[in-house]
Amino acid sequence: MSDWEPKIVAFLCNWCSYGAADLAGVSRMEYPPNIRVIRIPCTGRMSPKFFLAALREGADGVWVSG
Amino acid sequence: MEPGRLQFSWISSAESTKFVDVVNQVTAEVKALGPNQTFLTTKAKVA
Amino acid sequence: MVTFKLNGKTVQGEDGQSILQVAEKYNVEIPTLCHHKALEPAGMCRLCTVELFDGRRTRYVTSCNYPIWEGMEVNTDSEGVHQGRKLIVEMLLARCPEVPLLQKMASEYGIDEPRFEKENDTCILCGLCVRVCERMGANAISLTGRGVDMKVDTPFHIKTDACIACGACAYVCPTGHITLETIRDNVSKREFELIPSEYDEGITGRKPVYVPYPQAVPNTPAIDRDKCIHFKTGGCKICVEFCGVDAIDHSMQDEIIELNVGSIILAPGFEPFDPSKFDSYNYAKHPNVITSMEMERILSASGPTGGHLVRPSDHKEPQKVAWFQCVGSRDLNRCDNSYCSSVCCMYAIKEAVVAKEHAGDGLDCAIFFMDMRTHGKDFERFYDNAREKQGVRFLRSRVHTIDPEGDSGDLSVRYITEDGEMKSETFDMIVLSVGLQTQTETVELAKRLDLELTAGNFCKTDSFNPVATSTEGIYVCGAFQGPRDIPQAVVDASAAAAAAGEILSAARNTETKIAEIVPETNVTNERPRVGVFVCHCGINIAGVVDVPAVTEYAKSLPYVTYTNDNLYSCSQDTQETITQIIKQKNLNRVVVAACTPKTHEPLFQETLINAGLNKYLFEMANIRNQDSWVHKNNPELATKKAKDLVRMAVYKVALLEPLKEAELQVNQTAMVIGGGIAGMAAASSLANQGYDTHIIERSAQLGGQALNLYRTANGEDIQKNLSALIKDVKKNKKIHIHLDTTLSEMDGFVGNFKSTLSTNGDQQVLEHGVAVMATGASPLKPEEYSYGQDPRIITSLEMDRKFIDKDPGLKKLDTAVFIQCVGSREPQRPYCSRVCCTHSIDNALQLKKLNPDMSVFILYRDIRTYGEREYLYKEARQAGVIFIRYSLEHKPQVQIKKDKVVVTVRDHIIGRLIEIETDLLGLATAVIPNRDEQLANFFKVPLNDDGFFVERHAKLGPSEFATDGVFLCGLAHYPKPIEESIAQGRAAASRAVTLLARKTIHTSGTIAETDPAMCSQCGVCVSVCPFAAPSFTEEGPWTGRAEINPVLCKGCGLCVASCRSGAIHLKGFDNDQIFSQIFALGETG
Repeated sequence: MSDWEPKIVAFLCNWCSYGAADLAGVSRMEYPPNIRVIRIPCTGRMSPKFFLAALREGADGVWVSG
Repeated sequence: MEPGRLQFSWISSAESTKFVDVVNQVTAEVKALGPNQTFLTTKAKVA
Repeated sequence: MVTFKLNGKTVQGEDGQSILQVAEKYNVEIPTLCHHKALEPAGMCRLCTVELFDGRRTRYVTSCNYPIWEGMEVNTDSEGVHQGRKLIVEMLLARCPEVPLLQKMASEYGIDEPRFEKENDTCILCGLCVRVCERMGANAISLTGRGVDMKVDTPFHIKTDACIACGACAYVCPTGHITLETIRDNVSKREFELIPSEYDEGITGRKPVYVPYPQAVPNTPAIDRDKCIHFKTGGCKICVEFCGVDAIDHSMQDEIIELNVGSIILAPGFEPFDPSKFDSYNYAKHPNVITSMEMERILSASGPTGGHLVRPSDHKEPQKVAWFQCVGSRDLNRCDNSYCSSVCCMYAIKEAVVAKEHAGDGLDCAIFFMDMRTHGKDFERFYDNAREKQGVRFLRSRVHTIDPEGDSGDLSVRYITEDGEMKSETFDMIVLSVGLQTQTETVELAKRLDLELTAGNFCKTDSFNPVATSTEGIYVCGAFQGPRDIPQAVVDASAAAAAAGEILSAARNTETKIAEIVPETNVTNERPRVGVFVCHCGINIAGVVDVPAVTEYAKSLPYVTYTNDNLYSCSQDTQETITQIIKQKNLNRVVVAACTPKTHEPLFQETLINAGLNKYLFEMANIRNQDSWVHKNNPELATKKAKDLVRMAVYKVALLEPLKEAELQVNQTAMVIGGGIAGMAAASSLANQGYDTHIIERSAQLGGQALNLYRTANGEDIQKNLSALIKDVKKNKKIHIHLDTTLSEMDGFVGNFKSTLSTNGDQQVLEHGVAVMATGASPLKPEEYSYGQDPRIITSLEMDRKFIDKDPGLKKLDTAVFIQCVGSREPQRPYCSRVCCTHSIDNALQLKKLNPDMSVFILYRDIRTYGEREYLYKEARQAGVIFIRYSLEHKPQVQIKKDKVVVTVRDHIIGRLIEIETDLLGLATAVIPNRDEQLANFFKVPLNDDGFFVERHAKLGPSEFATDGVFLCGLAHYPKPIEESIAQGRAAASRAVTLLARKTIHTSGTIAETDPAMCSQCGVCVSVCPFAAPSFTEEGPWTGRAEINPVLCKGCGLCVASCRSGAIHLKGFDNDQIFSQIFALGETG
């Protein structure tokens, strides 16, 4: 089990966290490659349906960040 | 369903350090919870 | 082209290439020690030896310098090759047993101990250093001696001045035999020089080829000609060989470009004061005495310490940090800058608060100051919070000397407290809050342009024409106009643009080119034909992610009909190729897997438009910023992630539809609410740029608060200048004045406002494209200091009235007292009114001029004569005006005893109460905003707690609102003097013209749209939208159902997520499109 890696879907606000994620790249920081980013125009767009759908599709966690 | 599977945060576009901290934390917390077992689609899992 | 076999596979290379070069291209790894891509191969280390079969026999050759030929067979992985390499490594290890790289290689080959006799060398005699030295054009070292005596050395084994101390040999040396120390001790007669990074304030170094700072525009590297070796010796040019796109040309020369312009705007900025000459502060000698600019870099997350607060000497986390204010400002003893630099108090508080946020509450931050000048919008609150909530210590004392405590790195200071007590304290580091000054180059430029300068070497301007220099057509903005903070600099920048726009309005659009429009192909109902372009971004992506594998993988995805990988997808030639491919392959959807949509989506969308595709049929996969750059140590998972991201993008793009951007006319008329100085300045600027402008003034005359003012800080007569301005406004045919008029109704949105004006009961509808809020403010009517009980107790404006009317009584006064901060900086009104210190001091000076024997007192809390207003403060002290400081806890008392007005105040120096009998008491009352909530509601613009309007951005958008088409200026924004009001009036006009000049605006395509058939009329969208875009349809078959105004919609999707009927769709981010990305994740990659 120890080498199991979770699959996490990240819904990131285009103006905030998505920008922070880009900047983390520009600054060559490193973080675990488990997240898959879905860009949304604003966290206001986030719907519980997306969370449920992500879990149905095998995601182990969902992260919403504005 | 474990509450830790859904995480929220607020990060400004300038806070790349915070972004990395949160990614690490979210990944660690979800990893600690183990594979998700609920809501999985009923489709036969292709190995 | 040469074809041969490499490890059994057929490969191809260019004629003249070496085996190693071709192997590299095919990702076949061959170990090397002495190889460098930019240097001639030498075959010295023998490590790259490979097996060659020439058709008859097998030989061993060094792959770095063996040229390829047709039909050869090369094996890099045979038993023989490995045995040979193992032997070479073993021999090298015997020669250099202590070199970590060789130890590592040896252990990989399973060698514990070499079988040969160990020599204690560190040089493997590969000669790479000699070759690179030759390449640098220095030729300082060579391989000397023969056989076992061979070594790398200088001629005659003495230090040489042929060595240019470039360090290239140390940089390339594979074993660490050559270090900077060995060069210094044995090779070079010259000293190494660190190239200080300008951006990091010299805390770190930089390379001769560098990007000045991460946000630089353009974000391309530059070569520093003064530091680049090539420009010293003619050698090197290694960068040319590493550049994948042949962008480097060392032969480029400076060019003189002549531009034909109608106006010039000067924005040369300032330089921070250099405190090196203050010996007593030990800045030049002690590493832990730093400037505030260095502190900015240390606190920055992208700075030299990654935002970690450490002191320079020993990288220890400091426990105690002090800031010294007014270093290079308000000082004629140790420098020539007697002005106040205006920004340092605020930045010091900010640095202290940020430092505490970084280091935790345990960090002690002390700010040593003379007057705390937090006169900007919301600054006083920040000061209050820093003092009371964050525990920053504020010490009113000017420290003379910083004494280093031996070698500990600590710094001790002695200072006198407000109670007159001598104290000493030790700090870990001390930050000098350096002031702003004009560079010598700027002063020279000003001379060439024949510009008048002020005493402080700033550009001289007129209060009523605040951005105009003394030379016609040349305007100024930013710190060259006087020390100022960002919002003021941004206001002045817009004002300067407006001023230039006014004189050039006739020439508007005469130099523009019209882009050719490619007709859009209709792709509706077509099966998606997706093209996927994967970018290498040089090595930025391809160095980590297996780009060919991702490209190959993309072929397997549904609807994908074309895939390709590009070295740089954003280069102009690739853009043209992509355009051609879209047309040739008849693609109707495009995915680019590259950097990030935040910077490059518009560029690729442009490519789609050029290929006749709707720009919304595009999706980007972020495989650089969010993949290769952040997972560089995990190429395998990064490649897997890239495949996932490409799959998600392909799934989404297949569902994207062409979107329309509605075009909307912008009504070319402007409305300015408020006929004061700021409103008139805005109206004149708009009218002078050719736009019909209506001024709405609720009183019976133009002029606003300026009608009550006497003099500006520069000494200009306000009434004279104001009447000239009013006359100009009245004369201007494009300005339409509506007096005694208020706004009773407002409808519409950006470009199409419809306001109902009410003039003495008459209603009139005005259609306009933009609106400027210049609603002003009023003086506080004080309820303290016995105001209203005696004619001798008056407000500042009432005193100005006496000056304007040339009241003969003023001359006869024996004593006059001013009380500052009446109603400002109090708990119920926690802001500084900005203008009152200068105003009272100027009036005090006027009284002194009328009667030099008059006793004039100013009772103050902090004197805030920011910028060059400081001269007035100095002049007043020289003229004998007495300044007595009081605190909020011990406010002055005013009594009317018999026929005398008596002011009692506690003097903090002698610590006693003083009674002053006065003939005149001037109260410097607060500036109170009008708090027009109805107006705020009409235009959906916010008010802050104090009642001032809230601008779009405190720093970068001070003269506009977040609501499109609505602008802001004057006292309604924050208290400010006339020159700043006029500048902001023009700035608001400037911002408005950027909209008006477009004549039409395009709505975004990615906005929400309702499906009225599904709408249940619940109204959630109407109430939830922050931009008031949804409303109930008022007529037609869908009356009562929600509809969304595409102009107001910002596409945030809040209504979409909150719609319980699923009646709202967000184009480009609709449910099925986001679901498709989620489903794409479910597919195994």
